[in-house]
Amino acid sequence: MSSDAGSIPAASIIEIDDRDKLYKLRRGIPKLTLAFSVIFLFLSISSAPQSQPILKISAQDYEKYSRVTIQSDLPLSSSVEQSDTFVFVKIRANTPFRIQRESFRSRFIKSVGWSRGSGSYTLIINMEHENFSCNSFKVQNPPSLIIEIHPNRGQDPPINETNRNRTNPQTVDPECIVIDPGHGGLEAGAKGKFGTLEKDITLAIGMKLAEIVRQTRASNVVLTRDRDVDLSLEDRSAIANNNKATVFISVHVNGSYRKGAAGPETYFLSKDATDEESRRLAFMENNSEEMENNIQAEDEDLIKMILWDMAQTAYLKQSSQLAEAIQSELNLLWGTRNRGIKQAPFKVLTGVACPAVLVEVAFLSNPQEERKLLTEEYQRKIAQAVYDGLAKFLRDNSR
Amino acid sequence: MDKKKLVILAVLLLFLVVLVIIYLNLGGTVKPWPTQFISSSQDESESEKQNESTTIILFFPSEHDSLLHREEREIIPESSLALHAKRIISELLNGSQRGFLSPIPPETRLRELYITKEGVAYVDFSREIMDKHLSGSSAEMSTIYSVVNSLSYNIKPIKKVFILIDGGEKKTLGGHIDLTSPFQPIYDIVAK
Repeated sequence: MSSDAGSIPAASIIEIDDRDKLYKLRRGIPKLTLAFSVIFLFLSISSAPQSQPILKISAQDYEKYSRVTIQSDLPLSSSVEQSDTFVFVKIRANTPFRIQRESFRSRFIKSVGWSRGSGSYTLIINMEHENFSCNSFKVQNPPSLIIEIHPNRGQDPPINETNRNRTNPQTVDPECIVIDPGHGGLEAGAKGKFGTLEKDITLAIGMKLAEIVRQTRASNVVLTRDRDVDLSLEDRSAIANNNKATVFISVHVNGSYRKGAAGPETYFLSKDATDEESRRLAFMENNSEEMENNIQAEDEDLIKMILWDMAQTAYLKQSSQLAEAIQSELNLLWGTRNRGIKQAPFKVLTGVACPAVLVEVAFLSNPQEERKLLTEEYQRKIAQAVYDGLAKFLRDNSR
Repeated sequence: MDKKKLVILAVLLLFLVVLVIIYLNLGGTVKPWPTQFISSSQDESESEKQNESTTIILFFPSEHDSLLHREEREIIPESSLALHAKRIISELLNGSQRGFLSPIPPETRLRELYITKEGVAYVDFSREIMDKHLSGSSAEMSTIYSVVNSLSYNIKPIKKVFILIDGGEKKTLGGHIDLTSPFQPIYDIVAK
């Protein structure tokens, strides 16, 4: 019963008691509603800028350079120019961005500002000195543009365009070609129908290739193995890195479930490069202090390993050019047409810090090709084709 | 009185309009739910249509080209994602019914399979997948990507596949393809 009484609309009671009060109350409701709607309206407007993409600008100093990071929700299209003490980063924008700047302290950067133009934003980085070089690159997840600015110390001449053409004869390392005959020892690799082992063919071709390079060029040639020995994949890339290799070529012979599979294939590394790159950056950012100051002895190996693990990602473009050059020579030799270069996550290539490819010279699982691979003549022809591709790559990249 | 009612109505209407505006506004900014690993809801919907067969697509290498080829197969869906994934691998291990090549040595067993919240499937094979493997880059590629593509294609929450052998991480199957990082599917190597 009491609940029934309570459920009588309050308004009806008020109506009987005091019409004036009711009037006020009724007037009050719209006011209240209006107030609420105004609040909601305000909230909705204030929430609107959230839909606007954000441009987050941050800067950080490292031991020898500064890094400016522009991070966004959207892929960035940009150009970087430098003049006097300024770096201008123009970012094309179809929609307005909300700019978030993080405060920073830098030994090299005086200030970072930005201006808005029609359909673009320009970030202006003002450096302390005009003698510097800068390079920029993009990473994904989240889309970021990274500008690294290296002040040039001492007598270095001002560099206007790019520092890539800097050819200082004293500092240039001699050309070093590292040739890696695949497999070896207990690890025989692919096997042919007539009992041919991949490790023997790769050694034979690798040795011939080394011989051709020695006879033709004034360069260092390093073979990762010149005998039938076990050698881990990490050791092979370490040999390349320790010798400051200009180029790394791993020689293999293919094997397939398909008996008809034939022809040469040249591979370069496929890794989720953007993924790796952002992992690397995240790692560097989180550990920059430790990396540049004193690293604990036990951590040092770990850090080196992580960095080497991703070494090849920086050379993927050149590696693809090297693969292209070698593949087209091999296509000529084998009469294969339209056989393009391929990408795969080869373990031996991941840690190599120079242009690196893996050449599958032919299929050992194909009896016809196996027979050819056993002849000295074909081994020499293949080595020559690989060398011709390598020479073309080195010519194109020496400019 | 009527006028007042009208005013109230008008205000209520305004309020409604404001609500709609807010809703639309938020609707524009609120991101859709991240496609997280949603095993429980998926499990329910799967158990509902139990006994109803579903089509899965397996990827096999072929004698005719270097691509992977699709093979449809009807199976009764399992009660969980991990079981479903195990079923897909065992179908793959059984080999093709349409004459495609078997990418995994027939002696190989699936030891275990689990899926993490982040969408990484860990597939643990017995060591025959390595010991009895036909060595060669192409052979390794077809083994790995028939597994990776078959799992990722049929089970959307699986984003990456990590291949374990005999319960542990191995560097390669036969000296070529890196097994120490998880694989993402590659559909470029699938026949159209």
